[in-house]
Amino acid sequence: MKLPRSNPHNNNIEFKAMNKETFLKQFDSIPAHYPIQGEARAAIHNGLDFPTSRDEKWKYTRVNSIVESSIKLNVSTITDVNSFKIDANWCYLVFVNGAFHLGLSDALPNGVEMTSIAQAEGSMKENMLAKLGKLFDHKSQAFPSLNTAYFNDGAFLSVAKNIKIDQPIAILNISEGSAQASNPRNLIHVESGAEVKLIHQFEGVNNSEAFTNSVCEIFVDENAQTEYYLIENEGPETKTISSTNISQKRDSCFTIVTITKSGQLVRNNIHMAITESGCESNMMGIYFTDGTQHVDNQTYADHQDHGCNSNELYKGVLADRSTGVFNGKIMVHQAAQQTNAFQSNQNILLSDKATINTKPELEIYADDVKCSHGCTIGQLDEEAMFYLQSRGLGKEAAHRLLVEAFAQDLIDTIEIDSLKENFSQFIKSKFE
Amino acid sequence: MSDFLSIKNLRASIEGNQILKGINLEVKPGEIHAIMGPNGSGKSTLSSVLAGRDDYEVEADSVTFLGKDLLELAPEERSREGLFLAFQYPVEIPGVSNINFLKAAINAKRKYQGLDDISAKDFMVMVKEKQAMVELKSKLANRSVNEGFSGGEKKRNEIFQMAMLEPKLGILDETDSGLDIDALKIVSNGVNKLRAADRSFIVITHYQRLLEYIVPDFVHVLFEGRIVKSGGKELAMELEEKGYDWIKDEVTAQQPS
Repeated sequence: MKLPRSNPHNNNIEFKAMNKETFLKQFDSIPAHYPIQGEARAAIHNGLDFPTSRDEKWKYTRVNSIVESSIKLNVSTITDVNSFKIDANWCYLVFVNGAFHLGLSDALPNGVEMTSIAQAEGSMKENMLAKLGKLFDHKSQAFPSLNTAYFNDGAFLSVAKNIKIDQPIAILNISEGSAQASNPRNLIHVESGAEVKLIHQFEGVNNSEAFTNSVCEIFVDENAQTEYYLIENEGPETKTISSTNISQKRDSCFTIVTITKSGQLVRNNIHMAITESGCESNMMGIYFTDGTQHVDNQTYADHQDHGCNSNELYKGVLADRSTGVFNGKIMVHQAAQQTNAFQSNQNILLSDKATINTKPELEIYADDVKCSHGCTIGQLDEEAMFYLQSRGLGKEAAHRLLVEAFAQDLIDTIEIDSLKENFSQFIKSKFE
Repeated sequence: MSDFLSIKNLRASIEGNQILKGINLEVKPGEIHAIMGPNGSGKSTLSSVLAGRDDYEVEADSVTFLGKDLLELAPEERSREGLFLAFQYPVEIPGVSNINFLKAAINAKRKYQGLDDISAKDFMVMVKEKQAMVELKSKLANRSVNEGFSGGEKKRNEIFQMAMLEPKLGILDETDSGLDIDALKIVSNGVNKLRAADRSFIVITHYQRLLEYIVPDFVHVLFEGRIVKSGGKELAMELEEKGYDWIKDEVTAQQPS
């Protein structure tokens, strides 16, 4: 029998790791709306454990600080969300601590329907339940399972067939109060031939030590076009796990742009199932970290059918002692002939103490494909720095110009001008 | 009144190798000084050290520019004080627009001088005027800094930037290298138009050819990290005729063996 390890010099200090049950118990007061939630609760309480650094996909991201923390389920007091609005002309759907806030939300444009998942009724409820949880295996992945088990609300958004929506629609998730734990759940269905721009924005109010565990399922039907911008800005002391799974049907086009602005620990999982032929899929991402931030992006482009193009570009700028992780995988199944799949991860380290772990992966079972992947890690070009300084620009200004230049091709993929401007301001703010 | 540019016993080394071994040079307002010399004599090191590149360990009895200790200033401060280096190899900076960068540079200098930002209108008028001066196509001015520019276009862009920043002292580091005769004429023409009673130039070159177009007041020969001979423009002619060997022989003869 093994004896518990003890340290004779420190026996007055007790290391008491919270066990899984104690952590999960904190969510107990949340009612289960749907049977799937009961199944997920059973899975996570029995057998399904949170990942450790022994799990390949979690090698560089430790979640102890999350699953051993005391969390709270705060009551929202927010009465105004205007300060969070990137563009007042967008249609905002506001969720605070996971729950839909009708009073702070805007009316939807024609052709778009939304119901709060918790309050869905009639045919919307039927449609919702037909899709809810279909893109995740809530029995094998701990964080999506935790979300499924304990989400209290979310948006089911549906865009009608053949309709082009010009007004961008923003789902605004606000985390309010210290140690707030939220499990925002969203479900998006873009019907065939529809065209829409969506923004999924995470913000925080007085939410130090907060934990957000978001799950979003996106169904893109035949010939539909969707741009989806994920903007993470919950605050410097927060922890976020965001899981987005997408399923694309024939001839559809889907673009996801992940912009990580803040957060102590951020983990993004994106799984893009390209299930039918003729699809175009774009995954873009940018992270600009400082202090002791940790940002981890995991992506999976799953080419299941022939004649699809996927394009992936992630760029990171890491300062101070911050760390970044990128793990992107392109999977090309045997049926996915004539696939064009490209992936690139580029990083600039602004300090000797910053770290990036990057791993581009390709797995190909078809023999007529064009695929490439690669990553770069570098510093700002010293020659360019000197050139700019010799023209009178200060060090900070020169840094900024070069970082902006580095990010430019990603900024150019943002098709909404106000968001582009917001992002440029964000980079600028990093140098002030 | 303090000197314009006064260099006394300037030494510079890189990784333990001393490149400059005691340069003395006085430049007065409005003068053009040519610095010539064989390859490896330290010409480019001199221009880099004056512009503030930090690859070198630099010592000197004194280097003053407009009354300030030049060596104490950061590269950007030297620029704002009125020093401009036209690079031998201008750097390509993808993604940074030439125009935005120049505007930022002009405003950085204006801020240093306690002035407001230049108005968009004044800036554009200035761009148009200076572009014409160096015959730089406007599409180049709008592109990323030097990206995809030909050798001649890069050098013209250097002179264009110099014209925009209106320095007190322009240092041209082998601006003639890699230029055909037409480009050389355009570049020289641009420099000549910038000549003024209160603006000086240090023209660094390997060949006398450039000095037919930019006529210097003084010619100095740099050899093994020292200025070993100074004279008027006729010295350049002599070098062209006889090459650098006679200088080397002279220097060797003077050195105690």
